[in-house]
Amino acid sequence: MELAVDAAQSRHLPGFLERFAERAARMLSAEWCAVMVFRGRETDSYQTSNDKARPDAAQHTALVLFARELAKDIEARPLDASGSVGEVGKGKVAVFVPITASDAESLGAICLVSGKKAPGEADQRLLRALASHAALSLENFRRFSQLERSKRQWVEDIDAISDYIVVHDRSWRVVRTNRSLASHLGVPPVALVGEAMSSLRQIAETGSDLPCPFCRDTKQSREEYVVASPERIFLVSTSRTPGVSDDDTRTIHVLKDITDRREAERRYRELFDSIQEGLFFATPDGRFLDVNDAMVRMLGYDARDELLRADVGPHLYPAAAARERFLQALAERGVLRNYEETLRRKDGTLLHTLQNITAVRDSRGNIAQIRGLMLDVTEQKTFQSQLQRERDFNQKILNTTQSMILVLDTAGLISYANRRCFEAGYREDELIGHRLVDWVETSHRNDFEAALETTAHGQQVENLELRVRRSDASMGHFSISLSPMRDEQNTVNSVVVVMTDITDAALLQAKLAHSEKMATIGRLVSGVAHEVNNPLAAILGFTDLLLENPQVPDNAREDLQIILRETQRTKDIVQDLLSFARQRPVQRELVQVNSVLRQTIKLRSYDFASHGVEVVEEFDERLSPALGDSQQLQQVFLNILNNAYDAVQESGQRGHIAIRTRLRGESIEVAVTDNGTGIADPERIFDPFYTTKQAGKGTGLGLSICYGIVRAHGGEILCWNNSEQRGSTFVVRVPVANDASVAAALAKEAGR
Amino acid sequence: MTAQTQAGVAPILLIEDEPSVTAFLRAALERHGYAVANASSGAEGLKMLSGGNYSGVISDIRMPGAVNGAEVHAWIQKNRPELCARIILISGDTANSETQAFLAQSGTPCIEKPFRVQRLLEIVEKTFGKP
Repeated sequence: MELAVDAAQSRHLPGFLERFAERAARMLSAEWCAVMVFRGRETDSYQTSNDKARPDAAQHTALVLFARELAKDIEARPLDASGSVGEVGKGKVAVFVPITASDAESLGAICLVSGKKAPGEADQRLLRALASHAALSLENFRRFSQLERSKRQWVEDIDAISDYIVVHDRSWRVVRTNRSLASHLGVPPVALVGEAMSSLRQIAETGSDLPCPFCRDTKQSREEYVVASPERIFLVSTSRTPGVSDDDTRTIHVLKDITDRREAERRYRELFDSIQEGLFFATPDGRFLDVNDAMVRMLGYDARDELLRADVGPHLYPAAAARERFLQALAERGVLRNYEETLRRKDGTLLHTLQNITAVRDSRGNIAQIRGLMLDVTEQKTFQSQLQRERDFNQKILNTTQSMILVLDTAGLISYANRRCFEAGYREDELIGHRLVDWVETSHRNDFEAALETTAHGQQVENLELRVRRSDASMGHFSISLSPMRDEQNTVNSVVVVMTDITDAALLQAKLAHSEKMATIGRLVSGVAHEVNNPLAAILGFTDLLLENPQVPDNAREDLQIILRETQRTKDIVQDLLSFARQRPVQRELVQVNSVLRQTIKLRSYDFASHGVEVVEEFDERLSPALGDSQQLQQVFLNILNNAYDAVQESGQRGHIAIRTRLRGESIEVAVTDNGTGIADPERIFDPFYTTKQAGKGTGLGLSICYGIVRAHGGEILCWNNSEQRGSTFVVRVPVANDASVAAALAKEAGR
Repeated sequence: MTAQTQAGVAPILLIEDEPSVTAFLRAALERHGYAVANASSGAEGLKMLSGGNYSGVISDIRMPGAVNGAEVHAWIQKNRPELCARIILISGDTANSETQAFLAQSGTPCIEKPFRVQRLLEIVEKTFGKP
């Protein structure tokens, strides 16, 4: 027992173990004893001081080796039995007992050499007790030295910490400081022990009224705050450990110099806030942890705090689905580059953004934080959509215009054609890449080439009227405008050609001019006829009176008859003229055009048959009736038939007259085609007094009268020379009687 | 105006602006026993009508000046209704749609210029009776 106490109190291990060996030897009446302590591979041996019994070096080594191999409790070994042990002495026995720690670690062994043979039962017990004491002592000693070491180490560690550490007691006296703090103040650490905490005010101050410059609230067991001196910024971490007594209460301040970190943080913040892109840190459930000023501005919030309080999902996303899609994409890919998202500003307007997002995952792989950078692309988006709209608009114009629009390169090759071109029947493969000039009528090609040349020099050419081949190979009358298109360098790099087929318009204009001419002639004729009628009435009247007079001699009477006949002829001419000019409202009745035609043909059938003129009727029997005057219409048809008859008679060939009726839109069309001599001047055929017949065969008013009649019926009369065969075609079109026109005619009839 | 001649028979009033036509009408009618008074314009015709007695009126439709044949006809209808059935109109312009409408509506007999003497006398006898 005393050994254990000795061991616990002893600080000097070798002395203690030597004393222990002496005592053990004495207690067990051994000649020599050693306490062998294993220290890694080394073995320290603490022996009795009896020099006579001490084994020599070789023997000692053998004993140590044996002790290291020792596994059993106690083993007695005759020394002579071990050759290696050598000559300790004949009849001597070495007894080993291991020293084992409480955790079964082998700490060492006790070795006793005596003259006895093997130790008895009592000795063995004693030996075990000694080994146990030794083990306890060694363990205690180790623990103690470890404690010593760690304490020393701790102080060294504390001193090695660059942060300032100061511990004070309740009476605001310094208990300890570390070296950093002392060297900051330029004194050895111990110099500060016992000093008042207030002496450390020069380092920094929290601004409290307490005597310690680093304490704020003594009731808190932990505090952390930042204090600043003019030069440095410290993060002060304070812990208070209440002791058993008041004196034991310790307050530990650790002052971390965060001046540099603060600076870095300040720079980072400055960058964070000054950057024009929106930056944010957010949680996956939709809370902003931090946002920069640009982000606040972009989203239209008044202050950062307001945005930080906002719930990202419902506040920023116009549709919940978009948020879901975003989270889904982020979960799958972890990083989103140039992710386009439309967000809602605080005022409800939309914000188009381009985002770069990184997901920060926790150890289990779940998204813990979302970090992102956001660009406001609303303007670009608006611009883009404006551009798109404009493009669409232009496209629509190009595609819906009734003009063909083509773009030619400087070589005159077609590089673009709008939809109208294809609607007009041209194929893409016969336009694109081909020369437009090839479509122009040969005789007009020079004009077109010249215009192209002019345009290539930057001049616009407008309303060039050319004949151009249509997709169906027919020639059309086109109005063509050419405009130069320039590149950025203002060089003409292509020509825009706008082509409009004005064939119909030209035709219409010609018709209009013709009807205007006819109206003018009509007014003139009407005036002349009226003026002629007065003197004619007097001539005719007095001639009659003279003829009644019995005193007039016979030879004068014969002359008077001539005057009378010629006056009658003049009267007929004037009547015809008036019929042409007559705006006489036609009789309004339902007229079956086919039957009127048949009656008309019947009138001339004898002549046709006897002169071998073949008349072919191609009548549409489902023809609706027209509204008009059958007498007048018959007059028109008869006139045309007579002309046809005369024309085929003149040609000297077998005559052929085809009469066709059909419905054409809202009109009934009668076409009379002959294979006669044709018309010398179709433009003038309806003019009064225009005749190709011999003098006396016609007044030249027949077709003029027809013209007047057809016009009065609201129809039109046309004629042309046939393109494929000899002869000419006359076409009469009169409107179909519809309910409205019939009703109007009936009303007029009733009002008469 | 030598209107009241030949046993007190009231003359026919002739309203015509064209002298040659007036001369012929006058000659034709007088030679066939009618008494004739003439006015060279519509206005003059109305003036004579309001101041004298006439057995009938022959009037041109188209005349220069303020009063034409249609207006003469209207005036008679209003002021001398007994002469309403005793009007003959002369037209050089029956193609005119207004004239046509007027003639169709009034049912007044009309002679178209130029006309034969026989035609004139036929209508005059039918309308005014023999002289």
